Parts: sequence; C-alpha cells; structure tokens
Amino acid sequence: MFSIDVEARVGKFHLQPSFTADNEFVVLFGPSGCGKSLTLQAVAGLLAPDRGRIELPGGAVAFDAEAGVNLPPQRRSVGYVVQELALFPHMTAAQNIAFGLAGWPSARRRQRVTELLALLGLEGLADRRPRQMSGGQQQRVAFARALAAEPSLLLLDEPFSALEAPLRSMLRREVAALRRRLDLTALFVTHDLGEVYALGDHVVVYDDGRVLQHGSRDDVLRRPHSRRVAELVEVRNIVPGDIVAYAEGVAVVRTPWFTSRVRDANAPVRGEVYVCIRPEHIIIEREGRESRDGGNTVIEAEIIEEVAMGNTHRLFMRADPPDMEIGVPYVFEVDVPAHPYQVLNIPSRRNWRIALTTEHTWLVPRDADPRSG
Amino acid sequence: MTQVLAQPRERTTGARLGLGWLFAPPALLFAAFLAVPLAALAWRAVTSGELADNVTSSLVLDSLRLSAITSTVTLAVAIMVGTPLAYLLARRDFPGKMLVDLLLDLPIVLPPTVAGVALLVALGRKGVLGGELDAAGVNIAFTTAAVVLAQLFVSAPFYIRTVKAGFESVEPVYEGVASTLGASPLRTFWRVTLPLAWPSLVAGAILCWARALSELGATLIFAGNLEGSTRTMPLAIISAFEAGKSIDVPIALSVILVLAAAVLLLLLRVLARGAAMRV
Repeated sequence: MFSIDVEARVGKFHLQPSFTADNEFVVLFGPSGCGKSLTLQAVAGLLAPDRGRIELPGGAVAFDAEAGVNLPPQRRSVGYVVQELALFPHMTAAQNIAFGLAGWPSARRRQRVTELLALLGLEGLADRRPRQMSGGQQQRVAFARALAAEPSLLLLDEPFSALEAPLRSMLRREVAALRRRLDLTALFVTHDLGEVYALGDHVVVYDDGRVLQHGSRDDVLRRPHSRRVAELVEVRNIVPGDIVAYAEGVAVVRTPWFTSRVRDANAPVRGEVYVCIRPEHIIIEREGRESRDGGNTVIEAEIIEEVAMGNTHRLFMRADPPDMEIGVPYVFEVDVPAHPYQVLNIPSRRNWRIALTTEHTWLVPRDADPRSG
Repeated sequence: MTQVLAQPRERTTGARLGLGWLFAPPALLFAAFLAVPLAALAWRAVTSGELADNVTSSLVLDSLRLSAITSTVTLAVAIMVGTPLAYLLARRDFPGKMLVDLLLDLPIVLPPTVAGVALLVALGRKGVLGGELDAAGVNIAFTTAAVVLAQLFVSAPFYIRTVKAGFESVEPVYEGVASTLGASPLRTFWRVTLPLAWPSLVAGAILCWARALSELGATLIFAGNLEGSTRTMPLAIISAFEAGKSIDVPIALSVILVLAAAVLLLLLRVLARGAAMRV
C-alpha cells in the first residue's frame, strides 16, 4: 500500500498532499501549478519534504521526518517518467532502457530489454537514438526505461502533454492496456479531464497544494464534495439554492429559477446549497412528449449561444427566474450529442424545455469550501 | 564565446537578405589580415632553404619537446582538478562560492606577467612559502615544474569557466531520472552528466591547451628561460629573436608552432563535432 502524508514549503508554495493508493492507477488531477508534479518529485526522492511520511508499496518507508528516514532516489525502486521524458540523448533506445539494469547479469539484461521493446511495440528501434525517433516512440522508450527494473511504483508526469491529440489518445489506450497487464501502482499526473476518464481507477483532486477530494473516478466525477471540485471536474452547472424541506433522502431545493426535488443520500438536511448537474445530464424535451419521469425538474430556457464540440453541441441556455423581481437569468450549459441534435432539429427554434435528470443531480453545501463564491 | 568552438554554426538568414555584399568586404579584409602574416611566414620558411636544418637543431627540438610535455601536463592537471571544481560551481552552493568565481576570472583578466610575479612571490626561494618549501627540499622556481604551474595558473581558468557553463547547460532532470533508475551519484555523473557536457569539455580543453602552449610572461618570470628545462617554444622564439643572429630560427620555430597548433585544433574540433553529433 502506497501512502503519502507530507508537508513541504517550496518558496512560497505550501505543498501538503495526503492520500493512499493500493495496487491501482491513481490520477492526480488539478490545474497547472497545484503541486501535482512536486508530489511526484517528493515520492521519487528528488524533493525532501519538511515533515510527514511516505510509504512505498510493499511497505518500505521512503521518507519519515520524525524517524529521520529519507531514502535516496536510487534506493526507492520507483519508475519515474517526467514530463520532458529526459531520454538520455547520447544513448540508444536499448541503452536508455538498460540504464536501470546496471546490476543485472548481462544475459538477463539483454533479455529484459528485448522483452520491453516487444511489450511497447519498439521492435527494430533498439539502436535508434532519441532524436531519430518520433514523439510517440520516445514516449514509449521512456515508459520502457521506467518499467525496466520492475519498480513497485510508477510515476507518470503528464507524459502525453507534448504529443498531438490522435497519438495521445492511442498511447492513453496503450497505457490503460499496459496497466491491466502489469500489476502495479501508478500515480498519473494530468490536468486533462479526458485522461481522468480514460485512465483513472482512483482520482485525487488537487488544488493549491492540497488534496480536495480522493475517491473512485465515478464518485469524484459524479459526486464532487465541494463547489471547487465540481468546477475542476467541469460540472459546469452549479446553481445556488436553499433546502426548504427534507424527508427520506429527498431534499426540496428552491432556487430563483426552479424548485427541484433532489434524491441525494449525502445531501445536507437544511441550509444553503449548490445544485450540481453535468451538461450531458440535462435533457432537451421533445415537443408534446413530456418527461415520463415525474421527478425531473423541467425548466423553460432559451438558446443564446451554441458551440460545436466535435460529436456534441454545447448549448448555452438562459432561464429567467419566474419572478423577475428577485434575480438575474441563469445560463445552463447543455451538451446535446449529434444524433438527438438532428432528430430534435435544435436550430429550428430557440425556446425549449430542459429537464434536469433526477438521478444525476446532487447537492453540495455552500459552506463546504471556504474559497467558493 | 567558447561555445563557438564546439557547436555547429547556425545558418543565418543574412545572406538571403542581401547582407552578404555589405558584410563581405570587412570580413574578407580581416581574414586577409590573419592570413597574410601566416602566409609570409610559410613563404619565408620555405624559400630560405634552412628550414630543415633549423627544425632538426637541438635548440628547436628541445623547446618543442618541452612545450609539448608542459602544455599536456598542464591540460591533464587542469582536467583533473578543474572538472570537479567546475561541477561544484555549476551544481552546488557553498560558502565562498562568489570568491572562487572571482578568483577564476582574475587570471583571465590579468596580464600573465602579474601571474608570474605572484607565483614567484608565493613559491620562489625567497617567497612567502619559500622557506617551508626549501626546508622540505622542494625547489620549484626556475624548474620545469614552474613552467607547468605558470601555465596552469593562467590557462586552467579557461577550462573551468567553459566546463562550468557546460555542466550548467545539462538539465538537472536528466540526473534526477538517472538517480531514480538506481544510479549512484558517481555513476550518474560519469554516465549522464559528463557525456552531456562533453562538447564543453572538449572546447574547454582546446582553450586551456592553446593558452598553455602560448604562455610566455608568467613562465619567463617564474620559471626563467633555461634551455632544456624551462625554455618553451614561445621563449625560444623570443630568445632567438633577441639574439639577433638570424631571423631564420624564429621563423622555423614559429612555423612549427603554427603547424602543431593548427593540426591539434583541427583534430580537437573534429572530436568536438563528433561529440556534438552524438548528443
């Protein structure tokens, strides 16, 4: 079981990550400069925290401020793929991969290199130098090099950020496949939500040096605990409201634009809340076919802007408060896939009824995050 | 300044902009300024007909041998003590770092004669440390060892400066990754840092060796001008010239020095290019 709970001051930045990982792929997700990469450096042994403890999978203590333990990087058995890859430019692919196998008998070392070249589809490139390889090939050599000595923990720092989109998604799939084949714990740093969807078993959401939320991917993406996490995982529709009644796991929430019944077992019983719903979970209702699920919250809204996003369209839809005296309009973001977009003939008119699906709506207390608002 | 030696030249857009016509005259003029005296030297050496005799004279051979040995020893010492110093200056903070940095610049700026006087005052028989050295049976001044020390004093800073810049240009992330791959600090230095800084090491070595080979002022004052033990080629040229017998001896010496320097520079440049290509 991997665990980290440390504090480090780096200049004015205060890094204080705390989470655990057990034989799984953990995505560290957060905006740039939030301390994800520094966390990896601390785990690799390239940054000494001021206090706390880091335990590696298998139980070895890599760092313990109180016990005065600070293993040097070369004794941590951690594979580290840095953002810039840092392949040794004066060595061939095979030499790069073999670098971490210095203590191995030469026959076994050669065998391991061949094995890794095959595992990552690099056959025939063994004698190429980094500058003679494409970005994707360099990427794979960096992976092979990090995996060579069979580390107990793999650290990946935005390894795909420098690549073009098609290559990135291909390598993402390869890493996911690799991850299924190799039984190991990996920490994967990214600020790309797409990579969270593609790779994460578990997600650790970072902001400003701290862990805001840690949980299974679906939990974090569908049930952020605070407004800040909801923003970071791009929930987009975060509507302030008040709980006016609560009974048997169903909260009645009143906002200036609608009143909604939210079934959320974790919902607060009373007080100020945010109603959260992702753009893909808002449905545009077809004329004359009202939502069969009586629980959905139905709102009249007007399309004010539209952005084509490849296979979906994002609609910005304005809802006016029924009582114009008490508020400003709220603009919902609604994602409509290409097919329903055509079937409904969205461009034909501007005013639609939208339904917030009950099962995808949840509440976040407004005072949960001091920096919200 | 020193990077020029090691790095392949960049192609500029100057030519395409028509700057070639504008910049060619001064450039050619200066090239001619460098080439004409060297060509004259070669021409005189060939036409005088005494080149062969002079080249094989003991005066020339002795000074040639001495120059070759002392400048090579100087370079070897500079590499052995200068490389660790350059690494520390590039990678570590330590008390007195500013002072060491300043000390390294001084010999580059000072006239070599000042270095010679300073060395004599410190290590000469009547120098500050002279008594102790004498008691230990060590006599440095006016020996071949003094030639090496004089050369080292003025030329090693060129090596250290250049190599320091080379180490600084190696991204620390390479060393970090090497250490996560199980490499000890020494192995990381040997297998990663040093090869990546290699072009700078070669450039520094060229500068250092060239400076040592041409050393005159400090050697003259600290080591003297004794044939066979301290009379290096630059000193032999001065001596022959001042003796005023014939200008043929200085010419022969000069030609040999030019040829030796040109061959070595060319060789090292090929080496440096090879190193740059590998990276």
